[in-house]
Amino acid sequence: MTDATTPQATPAEGSLLTTRDVTVTYDLTHEALHKTSLTFEKGQVTALIGPSGCGKSTFLRCLNLMNREIPRCSIGGEIFYHGHDINTPKENLFELRKSIGMVFQQPTPFRKSIRENILFAPKKHGRVKTREEEDELVETSLKQAALWDEVKDKLKQSAHALSGGQQQRLCIARTLAMKPDVVLFDEPCSALDPISTFAIEETIRDIASTGICEIIVTHNMEQATRVSDRTAFFYVGDMVETGTTQQIFRDPHDQRLIDYLTGRFG
Amino acid sequence: MASEKNGRSVALDAHVRRIDSQDKVATGVLTVIVGLVMLLVVAIIAYILVRGAGRALTPGFLTNPYNDEAVPGILYQLWDSFYMLLVTLIISVPISLGAAIFLVEYAPDNWVTSAAKTAIETLSSLPSIVVGMFGSLFFVVTLGWGISILAGACALTMFNIPILVRTIQQALEDVPRSQRDAALAMGLTRWETTINVLLPAAMPAIVTGIVLSAGRVFGEAAALIFTAGSAPARLNFASVNFLSPTNPFNIFRPACSLAVYIWRLTSEPTAGSTEIVWGTATVLLACVLLFNVLARLLGKLLSRRLTAE
Repeated sequence: MTDATTPQATPAEGSLLTTRDVTVTYDLTHEALHKTSLTFEKGQVTALIGPSGCGKSTFLRCLNLMNREIPRCSIGGEIFYHGHDINTPKENLFELRKSIGMVFQQPTPFRKSIRENILFAPKKHGRVKTREEEDELVETSLKQAALWDEVKDKLKQSAHALSGGQQQRLCIARTLAMKPDVVLFDEPCSALDPISTFAIEETIRDIASTGICEIIVTHNMEQATRVSDRTAFFYVGDMVETGTTQQIFRDPHDQRLIDYLTGRFG
Repeated sequence: MASEKNGRSVALDAHVRRIDSQDKVATGVLTVIVGLVMLLVVAIIAYILVRGAGRALTPGFLTNPYNDEAVPGILYQLWDSFYMLLVTLIISVPISLGAAIFLVEYAPDNWVTSAAKTAIETLSSLPSIVVGMFGSLFFVVTLGWGISILAGACALTMFNIPILVRTIQQALEDVPRSQRDAALAMGLTRWETTINVLLPAAMPAIVTGIVLSAGRVFGEAAALIFTAGSAPARLNFASVNFLSPTNPFNIFRPACSLAVYIWRLTSEPTAGSTEIVWGTATVLLACVLLFNVLARLLGKLLSRRLTAE
């Protein structure tokens, strides 16, 4: 089903993250995702679009193996990350998720201070030791997520006192504090107002320019055109078409994609 | 046309009037029922207060031993009640916490788990006198602890555990799934997630549950009669010999809680014991009310500390 004009749809040597024939089955029988092969490069933003229940979030949750947390959910196929297959029972999930971060649909700050939200995981993983290292990590992460100026005077306050948009940027900062090379976004703006959405989109572009690979699931096609370099369209468990964002939106090939873009369903 | 429209609106009016009056009747009946329940509670409390407040407030009642010549007091029983509660909580809280965490986070979804859940629920509906009988046979006789605070606390633990497991389980399940996912997605293990994210988030509800259960344990009598004993202990607060039966901290000595003391004085009345019974009942009631208020306050305080500051 992949588009012939996109050579990157087949696993390329030396790519950061490549999936080959990834399938997901819930409850042993219900196939939520059918053989999906995609490639993601450094510094590139890929948007996953498609109607509800098309498998795009399911696919995203394969990339950091979050689907393993769901009982009776199995992932088939191969997922190459830095050249080795991570979809094996031996893969160390905890190591993997230190370098593949994830931002969720609802902002999920912990019931801790802003500072502790950022430092929580790095401390657990023993990455920061001195007070200076901590301060520096907090500042750089918050600056990367464009939140520093708003919160620098209240780092000790509870993260729950922030607005929804700020909370979501805190979650991005928290993810970046882990120094990941891949960040997964699962509809990060669907609970936010337009201004916060704009701020987050800008942050996503900024992060990409530092060489991080980003993959974003979105319902908002405008958003896909604004933030992404490449786009993949999912429909009822199939990855139907992929290409540069420009090509997907200007010159779609598959009839289902054309119908989706013209609003005939969705 | 006009008449039809008119007819329809008349029918509609009648319908509205009917459901209106139904609503009023239902509200009235429910208000009366709630009023009755409240009246019952207030009546019981008022009756006990009227009968016992005078004695409870007599100087010396709370600070004198039961065998004081002038004003027989309940100092030892009060101490024993709180001490036994403390020992019970020290045993039951860690066990319940562990069981609840296992059931919520780790237990596979199979028949063993559902059997465990059923067992816990069954334990909570065991009559406390049966728990007392079992405690007396097992802790007192088989394990050879004798009639003791430890045996009493273990019996109390047996019916405190199901309540605690249930409340802690509920508190953990009420933490949004997204919090758990977020922590796991940052490469934390399940254990780290539970300890550092889930438990703090559930803490206000857990503390409230523990204090409420403490109120129940505090007033328990039947399970203690055969395990901790019913004879008022003679305590010597100056004692430093922790094995002496008069040392207040000795967990291997018999003890008599407030509730058991009420039972004993009622079943074996002596001169002037009725007054003491009502006074003791008043103190017991005040303590249980205090636990309830404390539970609410602590819960609110904790959740404010965890969310705002």
